[in-house]
Amino acid sequence: MKKILSILTILFTFSFTSHSYSKTEIHWWYGNSGFLGDVIIEIANRFNASQDQYTVIPTGKGSYEDNMAATIAAFRAGDQPHYSQVYDAGAAIMVAQVKNGVVIGFEDMAEKYGIKVDADNYIPGIKNFYADSDGKMIGVPFNSSTCLMYANMDILKKVGIESVPKTYEEFEAMAPKIKAAGYIPLVQSHFPWIWTENFFSRHNLLMTDGNNGYDAVPTKTLFAETDAFVMHWKKVKEWYEKGFYGYKGRAWGDNQAPFIAGEAAFWFGSAASFGGMKGVVPNFTVNHIPYWDSVTGGKEYPTFIGGAANWILNGHTEEEYKGLAKFIEFMGSPEMDLYYHNMTGYSAVTKGGIELAETINFYRASPYHKAVGEQLSLEGSTIPGGYRAGNWPQIREVIYENVEPMLNGKISIEKGLKNMDKGAAKLLKQFAKTL
Amino acid sequence: MKKVQFKSSYSQYLFLAPQLGILLIFLYWPIIQTFKDAFTMQDAFGFGATFVWFDNFLFIFDDPAYFIAFKFTIIYSFVITLITGSIGLLLAVQANNVMHGKSTYKTLLIWPYAIAPAVVGVMANYFFSERFGLLYHLFHELWGFNWYESVFDSYIYVIIAGSWKQISANFIFFLAGLQAIQKSVIEASMIDCKNSFRRFWTITFPLLMPTTFFLIIINITYAFFDTFGIIDTTTIGAPSGETRTLVYKAYMDGFRGLDLGSAGAQSIMMMLIVLVITIFQFRYIEGKIHYN
Repeated sequence: MKKILSILTILFTFSFTSHSYSKTEIHWWYGNSGFLGDVIIEIANRFNASQDQYTVIPTGKGSYEDNMAATIAAFRAGDQPHYSQVYDAGAAIMVAQVKNGVVIGFEDMAEKYGIKVDADNYIPGIKNFYADSDGKMIGVPFNSSTCLMYANMDILKKVGIESVPKTYEEFEAMAPKIKAAGYIPLVQSHFPWIWTENFFSRHNLLMTDGNNGYDAVPTKTLFAETDAFVMHWKKVKEWYEKGFYGYKGRAWGDNQAPFIAGEAAFWFGSAASFGGMKGVVPNFTVNHIPYWDSVTGGKEYPTFIGGAANWILNGHTEEEYKGLAKFIEFMGSPEMDLYYHNMTGYSAVTKGGIELAETINFYRASPYHKAVGEQLSLEGSTIPGGYRAGNWPQIREVIYENVEPMLNGKISIEKGLKNMDKGAAKLLKQFAKTL
Repeated sequence: MKKVQFKSSYSQYLFLAPQLGILLIFLYWPIIQTFKDAFTMQDAFGFGATFVWFDNFLFIFDDPAYFIAFKFTIIYSFVITLITGSIGLLLAVQANNVMHGKSTYKTLLIWPYAIAPAVVGVMANYFFSERFGLLYHLFHELWGFNWYESVFDSYIYVIIAGSWKQISANFIFFLAGLQAIQKSVIEASMIDCKNSFRRFWTITFPLLMPTTFFLIIINITYAFFDTFGIIDTTTIGAPSGETRTLVYKAYMDGFRGLDLGSAGAQSIMMMLIVLVITIFQFRYIEGKIHYN
């Protein structure tokens, strides 16, 4: 009896699996978890329900780093997904893989399979970040964030501050008041991203030679030789010593926690962070990240795009790519773009999505969503809209390694930044050898 | 003497095949692959691989972070071995003397061994979190404990997290060792010497030496290789890479940094280190041990 039962079970399982094979499967791997992961599954479900030829199967692989490592391992084993989400720091690696036939560029794909969403449909800043040196789009923009300043308005009101700081000078002036009232004035969650990469973009400064890697393969970073950057870190250290800035270790969440608990007045985080705070922190606003007035002379420049893009991987059948093309078209529609923007706080990435948002007066209903698009589309920058530097995930490690001793005074700011430059130059050289 | 001779056939190879297959696929092939990676430079996807001789090794020797990881790994394995060995021994001796409920003590003390290192790390997180960590606040009151800034404090964090589970392993082996000592030897020593402390150090402990030796090797290997999950779920190497073990650094460079050449070279360095330690132990320590 038992035997018969188990045979029946096996037969049943097979009949179900074979059933799902009647549709063409498209595998999409991603590196978001929690709520953001749920939204990705929902997008796939909506696509699957919208037609009956293809099934998109989303698989979460953990963090961005985990997903990139998993995608690479899968490719080396000849078992790669069709579509994979790779983050900003990995963009240089992915763009470099087009020539090896690992990645199919978005524009080539659009041309071959007639995707209705073409490159011009994406917002210029976002489009350029995932393009090759000729400006041809390679990655398909997806979750695009940037660093923003979250402010606890209740704390500000309590200490008698009316408006949020636009510049670091303004922040510096109000920090003692906040501190005196028993609050931490400022916390932030990502040194390399917020206070390094985006420090340079926010102040219209070049971060590496070779025009941020857009004109030539970069050989060094310009940390120690950029006076504004040295000044900034000296200030950060001063704030840290005075208790204007609180450092809570490397984990993103540990630095966000004081803000969520209502103990910190300002937190620098990602555009996509407010989802978890809505309803938890009573009265907060989402604002542009400050800049040094003394550096830009009162001008405000855009920051780089953070987050990730989806990349098309080679090695699958025509039929499957046709399905993927349909899926890309689906995700690029104004409705889906706005849906994603609304759910997550990531920027809308298509012109259609932004137009739709304006038509329905979306930003009046939800002012939280406004800052990201505004800050990204600021004009007047003379530097490229991104950086093309290989081994960047490791360079971020080098930055982290030196910030901690800089803060606790083990090494001077100048020495720390020089160490970063040295470590980065070695890693850039290493990457250049593999090209 | 009668010689037993089996008829030669191929069947023995057939029986050996599964085991050999496993060894080849899961042990030798990865080792060969590691050597290949260590001497080549390639991009993340494995393209453009060029043979570079010892460039990857020079690269890691030129990296201060590598020596920080090296120093930490040595300190970490030494302290973990010492702490887990001594507490494990203490508990084993006490549990061995218990008259009632012996097996209950035993079971309870063995339990932590079944917990995966990553889970141990997550639990340690609760104790050392700045927001709600009991130990964090206790230590903070005592001397301003702050593991993400002070190297010493972060050592304490990962040492406590790393030791807890391994104490169980030491306990069970020491207990088994104690129970294997012949009753008659213990009884004879009780007649000769009234001082139980002296009796332990002159009779029991020397008889436990084989177990101790075995555990030293096990503990060092544990601290070297198995604490990966603990580091990854506690300090992630903070402050500034001071609590990164060699394995963790190889992982970071290989899988986060996507530099397989450097990770391969680091793996080979690790093989050499373990080889040296083991040879040293068998050469100089084992000679002083009496197996019954």
